[in-house]
Amino acid sequence: MVKKIDKSKADAYFREKNTYMIIYFIIWAIVSYGVVLFAEPLSDIYFNGFPFHYFMGAQGALAVFIILLFVNAVVGDKIDKKYGIDEKRNEEIGRTTTVDH
Amino acid sequence: MDTQFITSMAIILATFALYIFIAVYNKAKATSDFYVAGRGVPPIYNGMAIGADWMSAASFIGMAGTIMMLGYDGLAYIMGWTGGYLLLTFLLAPQLRKSGSYTVPEFIGDRFKSNTALIIAAICTMIISFTYSIGQLSGSGVVIGRLFEIDAKLGTMIGVVLIAIYAAFGGMKGITWTQVAQYIVLIVAYLVPVIFMSLQITGNPLPWLSYGEIVGKLGELDRELGLSEYFAPFEKGTKWQFLALMFTLMAGTAGLPHVIARFYTVSTMKAARWSGAWALLFIALLYFSAPAYAAFSRFILMTQVAGSKIADLPAWTKTWVDTGLLKVADTSGDGILQWNELIIANDIVVMATPEIANLGIFVIGLVSAGAMAAALSTAGGLLIAISSAFAHDIYYRILKPDATDKQRLKVGRITIVVATLFAGIVALDPPGAITQIVAWAFAIATGTFFPALVLGVWWKRANAQGLIAGLLVGLAVTLSYIFAAKYGGFTILGIIDTGAGVFGAIAAFAANIIVSLATKPPSQEIQDAVINLRYPEQMTYKDGEVYMNE
Repeated sequence: MVKKIDKSKADAYFREKNTYMIIYFIIWAIVSYGVVLFAEPLSDIYFNGFPFHYFMGAQGALAVFIILLFVNAVVGDKIDKKYGIDEKRNEEIGRTTTVDH
Repeated sequence: MDTQFITSMAIILATFALYIFIAVYNKAKATSDFYVAGRGVPPIYNGMAIGADWMSAASFIGMAGTIMMLGYDGLAYIMGWTGGYLLLTFLLAPQLRKSGSYTVPEFIGDRFKSNTALIIAAICTMIISFTYSIGQLSGSGVVIGRLFEIDAKLGTMIGVVLIAIYAAFGGMKGITWTQVAQYIVLIVAYLVPVIFMSLQITGNPLPWLSYGEIVGKLGELDRELGLSEYFAPFEKGTKWQFLALMFTLMAGTAGLPHVIARFYTVSTMKAARWSGAWALLFIALLYFSAPAYAAFSRFILMTQVAGSKIADLPAWTKTWVDTGLLKVADTSGDGILQWNELIIANDIVVMATPEIANLGIFVIGLVSAGAMAAALSTAGGLLIAISSAFAHDIYYRILKPDATDKQRLKVGRITIVVATLFAGIVALDPPGAITQIVAWAFAIATGTFFPALVLGVWWKRANAQGLIAGLLVGLAVTLSYIFAAKYGGFTILGIIDTGAGVFGAIAAFAANIIVSLATKPPSQEIQDAVINLRYPEQMTYKDGEVYMNE
């Protein structure tokens, strides 16, 4: 059954997702580009045997990337639930709304 | 025939038999199965398939060696090839899935309502995937050549025949499940030697925790030899080259047609974001281990090989010296091999280290099988991307819209065979090292599809004229910079050919935005369709209203 909903509700959904996305991208940029920009001063700090800039490039940034992607997946599900999105229904619609071939 | 050859061959044949069995078992029957596996692959398996598709000869064979040679500067590959998954999963994958297209060029053709745009996008897909697959085929040539102790050229030809057969018959569905198996083979093959080396050198079975001290010790060894320390930043290139390369690899990840195609095989936008998360987790297992592989290899070479008498070098040196990829020269004439007299090519570090560290014939055979899985699985995904760009986007959408399923499948298969043969011919005399060729493919994707897709999904005002200008300008700038930097010695801020994508992307964004704003906005229908991509499947945007499908 198709029902008209308030546009402001749909906009709120979109805004909420984007706010989180911007936060993820800020963290993403700090752990990768930020650490590279300040690699020289950070190399005097040691972490688990590594100079810190090397640790971030080889392990730290990757770990943060993975965490951000899983946080995004879980938070995305929560936001969907909050706005009453039903994944089963999405799957049914996903099967039919593909471009006709 | 020695025991090593028989063991390696047996492991490779056993894994191949498994892939072929899976491919035949799943032999595609209908067109939708051929291209997108009938859109029902669960996220966790799709994540593994993306991992196998992703981890190519460059990741498996080339990366650890590159890091060993470049030290800290090589970590741009680690961060670049993983950080791109955030751009892809946040900015593009779910939206492209909602659009319901089969391929990237098709999305562009529908979004911009332009056949010219569709054709240019299909050609860009073919250029990117073709460049990338040359690297894979030359990688498989190195492995097969070493195995049979034959010329790498002959090895490449054997690789061409294998890949053409199973890509043409399996289609995407065969490949999806084959790739799950390939992922498992290649990750086990990569982790086993690193874990063994970690035990051998540090006594700790967890290389990720133990190699920090080795990195520190490498720095000390370098200091004693008067070299720059292994972990010192920006010794092999400028800081700007590091940043440009990292950006190029990240944005290229988000613009690679054969990776994006994987996200069309999931059922919903939600499944797309979970697939991205699982994919990076599986991929990172290898990327976490590559710098450890590099550090252990360098440590073994510096402490166990360097300093030994030239006359008593172990057997492995001879086999690799014969391939021309390893050079030992006693330039000082003291009968002892010094560290600076040992010249080892990037591309053999992963393959040769298990022999150097004496890890046994089984591990060496396993690494060969893993390297083959990496090269062939990526080549498979690339060939499907080329085939769908031609058979679906150009042949079916433009040339012959009334083609039957059977005709389209046939054209798809012929395209795969022809593309493999051409890539194989170029790979016989590759224009660069594996990682370099692959980095060019990323630079082209960064200069073309990344701006085109980001603006296409996020900016409803982008129109066909802007898109076409952006694609052409981005392609021209990227290719010119690659050629000028590689052959003309031209650089800006020390950025070399591998970082070319950053200039292509800036030029493409600018061209797309300026031309779009200077020409008529797209129709209301197109703008509505772009807004519609913001919401999950259940919500539909139409004429300024949102409808919920319950």
